[in-house]
Amino acid sequence: MEYISLFVKSIFVDNMIFAYFLGMCSYLAVSKNVKTANGLGLAVIFVLFFTLPINWVLNTYVLQPGALKWLGPQFAEVDLSFLSFIVFIAVIAAFVQIVEMIVEKYLPSLYSSLGIFLPLIAVNCSILGGSLFMQQRDFPTLGEPLVYALGSGIGWYLAIVCLAAIREKMSYSNVPAPLKGVGITFITVGLMGMAFMIFMGIQL
Amino acid sequence: MNTNSNAYTVIYTTLVVVVVAAVLAFTAMKLKPSQSANAKAETLRQMMSAAGIKSTDELYATKNADVLQLYADNIEQAYTIGLDGEQNGTLSTELKNIELVDNLKPQNKAIKENTGVTLPVYVFKSGVAVMPIYGAGLWGPIWGYVAFQPDHYTIAGAYFDHESETPGLGAKIKDEAWFREKFIGKKVEWGAEPAFKLEKNVEATGAENAVDAITGATMTSKGLNEALNVWFKAYEKHFGLGAFFGMLEEHEITNEEEE
Amino acid sequence: MDKKLKETILNPILKGNPITVLILGICSSLAVTVQLKGALVMAISVTLVTGLSSLVCSLLRNSIPMRVRIIVQLVVVAMMVILVDQVLKAGEGTYAIDKQLSVYIGLIITNCIVMGRIEAFALGNKPIPSLLDGLANGVGYGLILIIVAFFRELLGSGTLFGLRVLPAAYVPNNLVILPPFALILLGCIIWAHRAWDKDLQEK
Repeated sequence: MEYISLFVKSIFVDNMIFAYFLGMCSYLAVSKNVKTANGLGLAVIFVLFFTLPINWVLNTYVLQPGALKWLGPQFAEVDLSFLSFIVFIAVIAAFVQIVEMIVEKYLPSLYSSLGIFLPLIAVNCSILGGSLFMQQRDFPTLGEPLVYALGSGIGWYLAIVCLAAIREKMSYSNVPAPLKGVGITFITVGLMGMAFMIFMGIQL
Repeated sequence: MNTNSNAYTVIYTTLVVVVVAAVLAFTAMKLKPSQSANAKAETLRQMMSAAGIKSTDELYATKNADVLQLYADNIEQAYTIGLDGEQNGTLSTELKNIELVDNLKPQNKAIKENTGVTLPVYVFKSGVAVMPIYGAGLWGPIWGYVAFQPDHYTIAGAYFDHESETPGLGAKIKDEAWFREKFIGKKVEWGAEPAFKLEKNVEATGAENAVDAITGATMTSKGLNEALNVWFKAYEKHFGLGAFFGMLEEHEITNEEEE
Repeated sequence: MDKKLKETILNPILKGNPITVLILGICSSLAVTVQLKGALVMAISVTLVTGLSSLVCSLLRNSIPMRVRIIVQLVVVAMMVILVDQVLKAGEGTYAIDKQLSVYIGLIITNCIVMGRIEAFALGNKPIPSLLDGLANGVGYGLILIIVAFFRELLGSGTLFGLRVLPAAYVPNNLVILPPFALILLGCIIWAHRAWDKDLQEK
């Protein structure tokens, strides 16, 4: 039950885009049509789902204050939390690079549709943000970060596909010249964010 | 030189990692003392704001060293208690060596798992006793300090803080002085389930052990309510007994007056 | 000052502003602009991180193996961010602000401006111009941040830098403090910027 609650919450209430505005750069750049948005969204789900639990394990057993207790009592006082940013980003970058190499070699068809998005993802705030929120929230077992990662990824996917659909329709409307393109997109996302705020009151 | 050979790549990355790690470890070590001093002063400010030593704004305008001095001047004693309500340690209040229990996260976990806890109680010279609370809000942890009058059930003041509640909604627990002031004069009903409530329409019902929840911040209010009650429960045996005798005395006095 | 250097410094602040024109680094610009103080600290932090990372990456530009380029750059950026974070935590006046900015300081690492400038400029230029380019981009970013924060704090709390400026009769507008408004405000800034400079309009 708690997992379902966390899952729903991370998609709608804690939506990476509408509640935190994470991963906006690629969100705005790659949402011109639904097809590419789809590809980037799937790639985000994939990377988030793998890197977040890896970082959880590292955080729990290496980085937290006192996390090295399993090495012996003399390590109980060690606090490596100042290294967490660097470890998280290194895990993400390395994961993305490895996946890129594997996909390029063994699944060329997938690479041609998804591969171009992978380098973009290493610097996507929502991936690092996911890991940082995981650290802040202090999940007790490996189950939560897995569910949270999946939920946040789906939330991000949902957001980018919705925006892409709106932008496809919007290209037919008569927007004032200075607002065309980015300007109106910002305002659209703002309005979508307001709509998503209705989920904040739900109790699970 | 071939910068793309495997050996070069490996050596290069190792070198970068070693250099970066060394620089970071060095700065982390150098800056640790001032970071902990900041954290300590922060805890003292929040605690003294709850205890009503000075206003929150004044405390935040005060320098770290003066905050420590202010605490040392006003504190009577500080000690830790277990879940049985008995004292199980003392905290030094000397200016040079002020001891606090400011890492509340593990304590919160220990309360829930009913393992050994060292819960701090800070008694000021004015007779006001301060206890911390800790719990989860909507986005991240929330914590705070509740101060009791010498009768140990009337709230003298409270201070709440949070890591990442929504600005303008949940963040009001910290930002809005009127929310904190609502707690003043309220009474914790030790032994009752729940001992204290955050709910709607309190002003209409006039309940003594309740405060209006924040409109539009359901989850933060719910989290704060839980944090308060979990921690009140943990302190129940300590404060509750004294408060019980206090109430008896109060009743006797009123009875005498009636005669 | 020679013309090219001047161009390097002035371009990112107006014509090539990282936020309103290149649309980079939006994430943090929205989350930290509720109060001017936080926005100012964030602006300074980002300026320092972009400047110093560009400088270091430019110094390393001839020796970085191409295959691990991104990772090495990220490690350099992450180091700068951790240094800034640690210093903010250690400073007496900045401790509370660092706490308020919470994860968004860490997210400077993935602020696209930093990586974008390293990739686009620092890897192909000498250290000093790279440093200036990084700093100028940070300033261009900070400028927008402060404009957004100015309106949000003024309308949302009736204060500026925590000091009350609007009369007490003004009822703070809660919508302004909520995140979606930042996006709408940013949209309006882009609107104004592009109405003024017609070259930037999209077809």
